[in-house]
Amino acid sequence: MTERLSIRGMELELLRRGAGRPLLLLHGFEPVSPQAPFVELLGEHAEIIAPSHPGFGRSPRPEDFESVYDLVRLYLDVLESLPYDAVTLVGLSFGGWLAAEIAVLGSRRVERLVLADAVGIKVSDRETPDILDVFNASPAEVRRRTWHDADTWAPDFDAMSDDELIAHHRNRESLCLYTWHPYLYNPRLRRWLRRIAVPTLVLWGASDRIVSPAYGRAYAEAIPGARFELIEGAGHRPEIERPEAFVERIVAFLKE
Amino acid sequence: MQAWYLNENPYPFVPQHVLDAADSVRGSLPNKYCDPKIAADLFEEALDEYLLCDDIGINVVSNEHHSGINCLFGASPVILGILARQTRNVRILSLGTLVTVRQDPVRVAEEYATADVICRGRLEIGFVKSGGTEMASGNMNPVGNLERFWEAIDLILKTLSHQDGPFSWEGKHFTHRHVNIWPRPWQQPYPPLWAATGDPETSAELGRRGMVNVLVFRGPEETKRAWTAYRKARTEAALPEPGPDRFGYAAFVYTGETDEEGMRVGSKLLWFLNTGLKSAPQYSKFLPGQIPPHLAPPLYRSGGAALRPAAALMGLTAEQAIARGLMFAGNPDTVCRQIREFQDKAGKFEHLVLASRSGFMTHDEATRGLKLFAREVLPRLSS
Repeated sequence: MTERLSIRGMELELLRRGAGRPLLLLHGFEPVSPQAPFVELLGEHAEIIAPSHPGFGRSPRPEDFESVYDLVRLYLDVLESLPYDAVTLVGLSFGGWLAAEIAVLGSRRVERLVLADAVGIKVSDRETPDILDVFNASPAEVRRRTWHDADTWAPDFDAMSDDELIAHHRNRESLCLYTWHPYLYNPRLRRWLRRIAVPTLVLWGASDRIVSPAYGRAYAEAIPGARFELIEGAGHRPEIERPEAFVERIVAFLKE
Repeated sequence: MQAWYLNENPYPFVPQHVLDAADSVRGSLPNKYCDPKIAADLFEEALDEYLLCDDIGINVVSNEHHSGINCLFGASPVILGILARQTRNVRILSLGTLVTVRQDPVRVAEEYATADVICRGRLEIGFVKSGGTEMASGNMNPVGNLERFWEAIDLILKTLSHQDGPFSWEGKHFTHRHVNIWPRPWQQPYPPLWAATGDPETSAELGRRGMVNVLVFRGPEETKRAWTAYRKARTEAALPEPGPDRFGYAAFVYTGETDEEGMRVGSKLLWFLNTGLKSAPQYSKFLPGQIPPHLAPPLYRSGGAALRPAAALMGLTAEQAIARGLMFAGNPDTVCRQIREFQDKAGKFEHLVLASRSGFMTHDEATRGLKLFAREVLPRLSS
């Protein structure tokens, strides 16, 4: 079930599920689906708080709200407003970028950090893009490179309702607005990852071809003490393709 | 009526199997398929056609598209500079530098002011919203394009008209702390302004600003809708009624000695629609920010609708293009009659943009068509 989260005059669609240690989950290219099996599984161990970013799902986007800078400050406000001293911050893909930026700023409210197939940094040389250009690449290539098993997991647009397709289109438009240039990364972020002072797990789909496991290793190496783990049989969305493995890794990390 | 010649200078000499295999003929087609020697010949022919127009009283249009077979005029200001120096009589319309894919509108204004001075005040400035593959080749965010368009125009116009030393611009999309161009334009406060659009909301804004509204291959219904929005916006703003000189229409035009010749040669212009428009879905229907999300569902479904009106034009025959008001072709009487019929449906307009060479039409064919139009059609439309 989805609720609303009001934060300094902004309204966010919010998915809340489960019980246990609080976990703020920042989504990737699409909001977290309440029906996704990993939500149920993770909810057995943690209280999941998963807002939709402004412009995604059913969260409105104020007209003057249009950069990653805005999103990061919004989630600092969200962290301050939660009735917990500290939470585990989990970021998927694009949300992983936001989570890394927040962790670099050193919020007292973050006690653990999980980055899954995160974007946000520049690793390779200037002529090697690290992240597949999901706006300029063909839809077929994006589909092929997103999933370990695209035929099983890629969305079937013909089976989706009007509402779902409208949301999908709007999510893409918002992602484009926030991330077009520089494309899905902040050139200054990598050098500051050393400021992250909380235990960090970097999870990666072994078959991710949107952003490769090698990029994930480089991400983990830049964060003091971070651990890098691969999830076999998953692409850019391990939480969807391998929900049990994804949740197991996070739960084990939470128990350490 | 004033006629304006537009040759987009396409490069049609890519093997058909390459075009068939490519998902897009613009944006991503490798430039190894562009032979610079052939390109040089095409530039020479196009510029010669413009010089012919200078002699026979047809104004000239320089446009801009990037990275594809549809148009070799990517570096549009370079072409504008040549036209400014080499023509002597006619007016020159830039339609236009794609201001939404240029990082610095001040530089665009500087190029325009320079061209206007070189041609001693014969320049007209047209603005084009752009979109599609141009966002990829121009490295610019497709979301927010329209907002960037108007801010670029505002900054260009202030740059052209400001004469009292440096000013500062700290806008949403553009910042420039020290703006002070030399030379300033010949025409004061700046050259006449045009914009190409068929979108009624943008036409309304053109109306409030008094800019010439030109529609490109849109047919009489869409044209009338845009011009109605233009007039209505002026009425609502208590501005004077616009004359026909505020309106323009761009069509494929070919005048032959006979109807048969006009149709046969004119139909070669449809290469622009049938070959030159092929564009991959990521550059067209899935390009973010192009349509409101609530209209999106059919784009994703199998057999779903095309997005851009242009995509629905692929595959038209010459007869269909004429019936839809996209093409005027035949002998001089026929061309005259078709243009008058279009005016009866869409409204009076002063400016006819002649897209009169495209695809495999030869330089000789284009030249003959232009001469015949200037001699037999234009005087009758002007009387």
